[in-house]
Amino acid sequence: MAETKEKSLSDEKPKPRVRPIVRLGIFLISHSFLVSIVCCTAGVLALFLLPVLAKNTYISENALMPGSASPMLSNQHVSDGNRLVKDLTNPNSKSSETGIESHKIIAQYMLDLGAEVSFHKFHPQMNQFHPLHFFSSPVSGKIQENYSCSSYGINTVGIIRAPRGDGKEAIVLVTPYNALKSGFGEALSLGIAYSVFSLLTQVTWLAKDIIWLVADSQYGEYAAVAAWLREYQTPKFSSLSTPNAEMCPDVNNLFELKGHSISGSKFSNSFRRAGTMAAALVLKVRDQNEQFEDTISIYAEASNGQMPNLDLINVVNYLAVHRQGLRVNVEKLWPLLNSSWLKSLGEIFESLAKVAKSLYPKWKFGIPATEYVEGTATLASSLYYQALGVPTGPHGAFRDYQVDAITLEISPKFSLDKVWRNDILLRGGRLIEGVIRSVNNLLEKFHQSFFLYLLTSPSKFVSVGVYMIAFALLIAPLPMVAASLYVDANSSSNCSKGDSSTPSAITDTDEHGIAIRSWSPTTSFMIWVLLSILSLLTLNSVLASPLACAKATQEKEWALVKSVTISSVFIGLGLMSVINFATAEIGALLMVPMCLLARPLKLDVRAGTLRSFCRLICNLVLGHIAFPPAAFFLLKGMLDGFGNANVGDFWMWVESLWAWNSATYLFIGMVQLPCWVLCVSILFHTC
Amino acid sequence: METFINPKSLFHLLLLPCLLLYSSIAYNSSPVEAAMHTNNWAVLVCTSRFWFNYRHMANTLSLYRTVKRLGIPDERIILMLADDMACNTRNKYPAQVFNNENHRLNLYGDNVEVDYRGYEVTVENFLRVLTGRHETAVPRSKRLLSDEGSHILLYMTGHGGDEFLKFQDSEELQSHDLADAVKQMKEKHRFKELLIMVDTCQAATLFNQLQSPGVLAIGSSMKGENSYSHHLDSDVGVSVVDRFTYYTLAFFERLNIYDNASLSSLFSSYNPSLLMSTAYYRKDLYKRRLEEVPVTNFFGSVMETIHTDAAYKALSRRNSGRFEDEMSLDQSVHHIKRRMLIKVNDGDEIHDINPEGEEGASKCPWSTFRNKFQKAENVDSLLNYGLVAMIPLLVISTWLVQ
Repeated sequence: MAETKEKSLSDEKPKPRVRPIVRLGIFLISHSFLVSIVCCTAGVLALFLLPVLAKNTYISENALMPGSASPMLSNQHVSDGNRLVKDLTNPNSKSSETGIESHKIIAQYMLDLGAEVSFHKFHPQMNQFHPLHFFSSPVSGKIQENYSCSSYGINTVGIIRAPRGDGKEAIVLVTPYNALKSGFGEALSLGIAYSVFSLLTQVTWLAKDIIWLVADSQYGEYAAVAAWLREYQTPKFSSLSTPNAEMCPDVNNLFELKGHSISGSKFSNSFRRAGTMAAALVLKVRDQNEQFEDTISIYAEASNGQMPNLDLINVVNYLAVHRQGLRVNVEKLWPLLNSSWLKSLGEIFESLAKVAKSLYPKWKFGIPATEYVEGTATLASSLYYQALGVPTGPHGAFRDYQVDAITLEISPKFSLDKVWRNDILLRGGRLIEGVIRSVNNLLEKFHQSFFLYLLTSPSKFVSVGVYMIAFALLIAPLPMVAASLYVDANSSSNCSKGDSSTPSAITDTDEHGIAIRSWSPTTSFMIWVLLSILSLLTLNSVLASPLACAKATQEKEWALVKSVTISSVFIGLGLMSVINFATAEIGALLMVPMCLLARPLKLDVRAGTLRSFCRLICNLVLGHIAFPPAAFFLLKGMLDGFGNANVGDFWMWVESLWAWNSATYLFIGMVQLPCWVLCVSILFHTC
Repeated sequence: METFINPKSLFHLLLLPCLLLYSSIAYNSSPVEAAMHTNNWAVLVCTSRFWFNYRHMANTLSLYRTVKRLGIPDERIILMLADDMACNTRNKYPAQVFNNENHRLNLYGDNVEVDYRGYEVTVENFLRVLTGRHETAVPRSKRLLSDEGSHILLYMTGHGGDEFLKFQDSEELQSHDLADAVKQMKEKHRFKELLIMVDTCQAATLFNQLQSPGVLAIGSSMKGENSYSHHLDSDVGVSVVDRFTYYTLAFFERLNIYDNASLSSLFSSYNPSLLMSTAYYRKDLYKRRLEEVPVTNFFGSVMETIHTDAAYKALSRRNSGRFEDEMSLDQSVHHIKRRMLIKVNDGDEIHDINPEGEEGASKCPWSTFRNKFQKAENVDSLLNYGLVAMIPLLVISTWLVQ
């Protein structure tokens, strides 16, 4: 026994068995060129297939039961709403300069219904950049000191307590309203909200409190809602910390007047709260409309690509389409709708699906070409707004506190007769009532349905499990190519230890250094470009001199730099896909081809073959496209036409990213730009 | 004096008390193998929580109302409701529960006695109720105090699946658990007959493991089928009743306590196209023919009425139970042993359920003799006959000795 064992041991020694996974890895690395081509093509193709793969939405949460109760909003409530609209549009109410009169009217109406009413005054707060605060609520501790009595906003808040509820939860209805220059649309949105509110004071089925926030939008809709939310979520327990705005006579005046006019009413000077918010609806009515039917647009994207639970959108969509007969819209990139290449791509997919169906009748994945184009346009806008990381409406403020919220914008086909107005009040009101009743049935937070999804139409979505495949395919070849490059470079020499990672650090510092606001965007942008180039060249000559290594190793140095670039791109994209998938996807589309193709131009010129010439052209084109400002202009030009593209636009765009705390800003600064610089340095490598 | 010490006379003297003793044993405490149906119990369980499961509570309360209407008293109904829809804040009609959108009938009226409510409705409590293994502190009103003469109706509704029924959205009752509990009940003589009625998805699978005799089971759907709700009350905003229960109730609404509709007519009343599922009943464990069992045997509390000539002379009456006659013919296997002393709750009459028609058919002389003993009017008269019979014996034995 012992002998045989020894024998077998000695047999094994000369050829150690390689485990299959290691062998597979080695195989992939050795064929990295083929793998990268296949994966990248598949990744791009999968992205274009997403509209085809989209699934129909369904209401996942049992408790919601949208539309199971018949609407109770009657013409009585509508006429109540109409009364408020008339009072608000009455020229007498606009006499006051600060628009306090209309706030008083609204408050009086709320009080008449028996709701608790309070005013919330706020000062518009400057946005501050908080890196790495992507998904948390904004820091509330710091309140700016420079209050002045001239600039403040007043939110009017009405609360209905659920008659038999426990007061632990609330549903929020927000109507932005600018008392100073309100259009008819805003008044109408208040009318709709009021008619629903008046109904809800009478019903017995409320389980959650209802908060109606009339947000003063003279400093922006978002700012008003965010200020109210900040106050709501961070109760102040000491009287000392009450804002100085109390000192302003005008404001106090307002409160006193109210207090006197209704004695013993439910009006209060202090900030009123209800329970935790289950959901929030922002209601708007658009003033002008070119469409021929009543439509309702849903805006859902919050900061950093966060989306509300899909169930909320489903409920609104279901009720609007199947109960109130409204058409539902989600944002589209309109220019894409007319693009012929997309149409032909859709036709190709359609005919492919037909062929597949004829082969095997159970394969039904094709969608008509027009539907495909619309789906792609919606998907592209969904991707773009998520990637931007800037909320598309006041609902974004709620998402920062993990409250599911959407903005509903009703665009009625306009005509000014009374019948039409009543109709839109009735249908809009019934829609809101239905959504509130549905959310009222909810037992827990929204949790059943998806949070990570892309919409391709109001009733179709692509879930995270599907769209991640496209991204994973795109970035899959990166580590293999990096490994193969590293292996190749190391096999010939082991001298060069890359100094190549330094430039990435350099570009970071460059970009953060300049945040000068007084100049025009164009000048700022130019100054930033110049300073960046200057500091880059200086630092490059000091730190990353190509002469640091022996002459022989220089040939392979670019390969090592490329390997490092690819690894850092891979890591950066991987991290970003967790924070904001859409940014990572778009970033990968721009950067992966460039990183994979990058090769010193000199080598290609020297080779002089057709293949190397093609590569040279590709490299030059990609090198331009992947530069963030260039990519921005290209996209903007494609969508809006190149005529109105302005150099300063990019600066403005980046500034808005900064102001809205977008992770995309960090991504551009810390992943995309450094990697672009590295790629360019590879292109111009002297070897 | 000597004559009495004679062994023969001694034998006779000893024989008499032995006979008397035997007759008394046979009369009073013979082992019970099949009891008469004497009382009815109902265990009605709604296992699901949450507002959107309103219909399950409405189902259970409807059944509660029905069995109460048909005569099962409140103290013999164990009502388990996992949630309180009536007082749910979402209920448009506070403290009222309806099972129809016409709102004609409030199921949650004044006389609803809920024994287990809310989080008390657990698998553990349910099994404790069935098997009677309670902690000492549990009041009698929350116990199933059935005996070997009980007919029990067990109605369950909620969300179920293949061989399980969900309780409270957190635990589940498996078909094995149910079968085990029923087996224990059988062992402990807690029922004579048990009707299990289940309205869930894949309800039939819940009966797969049942083995105990005397159990009849009916479920709303077969394996792989869903049970659907009947209609939505757009005023309350929820579905208010399930299809299977709706049609069960429709059947019972036509009946009153005096009706003789049989179980088979109930079971055949389910129309699969109306139910949108196939009602399934398992009767292989049940001995009686369903055509001969009135539904009031389970859904009501209708006992066999026994006519007596005199108020307290229970023995001199003839058997009047039309239905009992048929039953015993069916079960001729048992006919020899079927005899006992039963106390009917209402009065203190002593019954003998053994039908007289069977006496001629019995071949065994010993049993005829035993039956004659049992026929004796009471113990006193038996004793008198015995003493009178003693006199000739005594005379003969003394004559023989002399």
